[in-house]
Amino acid sequence: MTTVARTRGLTKRYGSFTALDSVDVSFTEHRIYGLLGRNGAGKTTLMQLLTGQLFASEGEIEVFGRTPVEHSDVLRRLCFIAESQRYPEDFKPSHVFKIAPSFFEHWDAEFAERLIADFRLPLNRRIKKLSRGQLSAVGVIVGLASRAPVTFFDEPYLGLDAVARHLFYDRLLEDYAEHPRTIVLSTHLIDEVANLLEHVVLIDEGRIILDQDAEELRGSATTVAGPSAAVEQFVDGREVMARDRIGGLASATIDGRLTAPERAEAARLGLELAPVSLQQLVVHLTGGALAAEQQKEAAA
Amino acid sequence: MTAVPISAAVVREDRFRFSDVARVVKLHFVNPSIYFGVPWLILGGAWALSVLITLIIRGASPAVTAEDMEGMRNSWAVISPQWYLVVVGVQAVAFTFNFALGLGSTRRDYWLGTSLVFLVVAAEMATGIALLVQLEQATGGWWLGAHMFDALWFGIDGFWVDWFSAFALQLFVLFVGAAATTIYLRWRMAGMLVSGAGLLLLVVGGIAIATFTETWPEIFAWLGEIGIVGVFTLVLGLAVVSAALGYVVIRRATPR
Repeated sequence: MTTVARTRGLTKRYGSFTALDSVDVSFTEHRIYGLLGRNGAGKTTLMQLLTGQLFASEGEIEVFGRTPVEHSDVLRRLCFIAESQRYPEDFKPSHVFKIAPSFFEHWDAEFAERLIADFRLPLNRRIKKLSRGQLSAVGVIVGLASRAPVTFFDEPYLGLDAVARHLFYDRLLEDYAEHPRTIVLSTHLIDEVANLLEHVVLIDEGRIILDQDAEELRGSATTVAGPSAAVEQFVDGREVMARDRIGGLASATIDGRLTAPERAEAARLGLELAPVSLQQLVVHLTGGALAAEQQKEAAA
Repeated sequence: MTAVPISAAVVREDRFRFSDVARVVKLHFVNPSIYFGVPWLILGGAWALSVLITLIIRGASPAVTAEDMEGMRNSWAVISPQWYLVVVGVQAVAFTFNFALGLGSTRRDYWLGTSLVFLVVAAEMATGIALLVQLEQATGGWWLGAHMFDALWFGIDGFWVDWFSAFALQLFVLFVGAAATTIYLRWRMAGMLVSGAGLLLLVVGGIAIATFTETWPEIFAWLGEIGIVGVFTLVLGLAVVSAALGYVVIRRATPR
């Protein structure tokens, strides 16, 4: 698989605050990435660096083989409409769609028209007067219709209702099937997009803490539930990511796949096994203080 | 339909394509009234006011002669859109920089495109004003002896001097506004305060030196010597300096 973007030791500091800390990550062509993490984890900063909007403090970025900064032959192949994208004063959505084709060589005007109708976007209302959801729709439509070889969606669903969100997921998948490209989707509505993602990059406090194929990730952790004593016996000696206890019942999330004998053992102890969703996994991995607190409570 | 993968191999193309600059021009002109509508609206308003004042003067005392009306040459009405155009210079950059970068423009292409817009606007304004000076002179001040365009330094040395001075002035106000905005984009408020204070210090320092060394008469004599063309060549030089400064500053500016 061809790598389209990669970073090495990428660091971004703002004064004493480190937004990204020595990030090594790569993106290959024709793949849908989920860039997951909590607010302020560094998702937007990473995307702004990959699109040459910010300057790195340290480290390297290569997109299509060279730094994206001030290289129009690279930037021409990227599309990144930020969640907080500012539009020129007095601009209407119609202005955006008038100008966007000159910036994206694969722009599909017909597709854009269809999306505008799908999202019921008012074309002649000032962008300042749009609702949050309509504003997000502008970004989503530009991102999809641009068909840029590398397209970044930064929290694209903000303010979108459930219908519009699913419309976005559907159109994204349909178009992706016809025009494979690299898509990086930053989001914290993880469950909704879990089935869309082919690869997950989890970022927390400026560090990459998970960079894995989504298929491998699913089922890489298991929750065991049942009587406290039985649960304790079963998880003894394993790495426990989270514990929960209600009365005499307990549940514990353990890292790693279970073998067949282990599953049999769990059944013998009367324990229930459940796969951990991507969202739960992310919460466990990035919950930090919260997770540690729960563990302490459970141990006490 | 068969899958059509979008090419993603390592690419090497010309770093400079004129279309990359042209699309920035297009971005600015998506809303053309900012550049081509409002300045003429302001000039039109000033013109109506000038004509009205002339009518009032004429009506109040029928004995007023054409020489008396020469006083209107001191009217600043002809440069009334300049304040607005400083704001246009500021807004042009403040409102479109983030968006242009979001669409994948380089800072260099963005600044080149913006500069091209300013050149076009300055040329258009200069042509309009220089023509109106001619028209005002030909009609004897709109048949009333009014002076609106044929005022200040305009209408003295002919069409091309009028054109050149208006062009230089337009370009100067647009680039000063735009360059100041690049400083804001890059260093925010702190940058504005430091550069503003620095500029003020420079100007006040210059005035102080000229005052203490009593060189004002020489300075005015020199300005008189270089004439209208000379003075506006200096203004054009300041416009070029602002443009160059803006370019250097914006190359490292980041959107918010």
